Amino acid sequence: MVVLDPAHGGTDLGARGTEGIRESEVVLQFAAQVRKALEAQGFQVVQTREGNENPSFDDRSARANAQRGAVFISLHVASTGLAGTARVYTMPDLPTANDGSGLIVWDRAQAPFTSLSHKLGDLVQAELARRFKGSPNGAQVAPVRQLRTTAAPAIAVEISSVSVADRATLDRMIPGVADAIARAVTAFKPTYVVPMIAPAAPGVRP
Amino acid sequence: MNTRWQIWLAGGLLAAVIAAALYFPALRHQVDKAKQLTQKTAEQARRELLPPAPVSSGEPRVKAKMFWGTREQDGKLNPVTVELPLSSDPALRAKQVLNTLLAGPVDPESRTLPPDAALLAFYLLPDGTAVADFSEAIGTSIPSGIQSEQLAVDSIARTLEANIPQAQRLKILIHGQEADTLAGHLDLTQTFPVNMKMLSLAVPATEPQPAMNPTSPAEKP
Repeated sequence: MVVLDPAHGGTDLGARGTEGIRESEVVLQFAAQVRKALEAQGFQVVQTREGNENPSFDDRSARANAQRGAVFISLHVASTGLAGTARVYTMPDLPTANDGSGLIVWDRAQAPFTSLSHKLGDLVQAELARRFKGSPNGAQVAPVRQLRTTAAPAIAVEISSVSVADRATLDRMIPGVADAIARAVTAFKPTYVVPMIAPAAPGVRP
Repeated sequence: MNTRWQIWLAGGLLAAVIAAALYFPALRHQVDKAKQLTQKTAEQARRELLPPAPVSSGEPRVKAKMFWGTREQDGKLNPVTVELPLSSDPALRAKQVLNTLLAGPVDPESRTLPPDAALLAFYLLPDGTAVADFSEAIGTSIPSGIQSEQLAVDSIARTLEANIPQAQRLKILIHGQEADTLAGHLDLTQTFPVNMKMLSLAVPATEPQPAMNPTSPAEKP
């Protein structure tokens, strides 16, 4: 299953451009096309929001955390950056998240998945770099809040930007972004093995 | 009650509903405005209580390295060497360089922090944690996005690394409080590494390693 997360929503409009472009609206359009491309590849897709609501970070993470073997992709449009480029971010390595019971600590739920997230991030970024000149070749590391509580391979894709002079510039990117994500997730699938969370040895503090 | 009174009563109720519908949005606007004013007033009061930014005209002028952005907005930092009168006290020196960072470069396009943001307080803890407390504008006026927020934090961390060797990690507070994120994206609940060399000496190998990547937003190796 792939969990698509169109960022922001509700009263949180996200990045806002001078031409009236709102991130919270644009990401919904991106999500719809990414969903179609993933479903065409045979993936089951759910979204953290499908309308103009704003679930909390934890509620968004919960959509992926409730599944085994899910992949989480958060979609963003930046205020800045070179127009027509796209970047992928993954969470930096976190301290081991094991409370001794074998359960994952919610606040560091991403910890066991960071290497898988880096792998997925690199695959998506490579596909994006092929389609959007000026995009980085590899995923970048940034402590994105949404990713920290997600117990699944998790990436944030950020498109530049709401500052484009014409909304059509962003719209033209949608098919390329959708195809890049669908191809990368397909390539990632055979390598995805859900990590085992071993209980900590008695007396060892997590 | 006769029909005439019933009509008058219904008319009165309708008029009251219309008046309320017109009045409530205006009242809500006034309440929101008053709330903002209260917030600003609280922050203003705090600024007034804090000691003024250190003036160091008597200090020797030394070369300081500031990390601002680039005009191209490519998410990269550009080190700029400036000559400043800097204190030898690390906490005072940190305030001086961070205030210079906030004041911005010659080219406003290369700013990494909002021009209306202010450093409210700065503490250097004995374990090397640098606590920088900024006004709310650092979160509300910064361009929203992962790249811009990461660039802002990196510019602070790299500027501290270059000028305050005692600082090992950075904790950012907003208006004296821990914030969940800077402006909706970057996680502020944890610390950011400043001086990795010092950190690797200070933290035993068996302890959990710091959460943040020192080279971000650069690409992973």
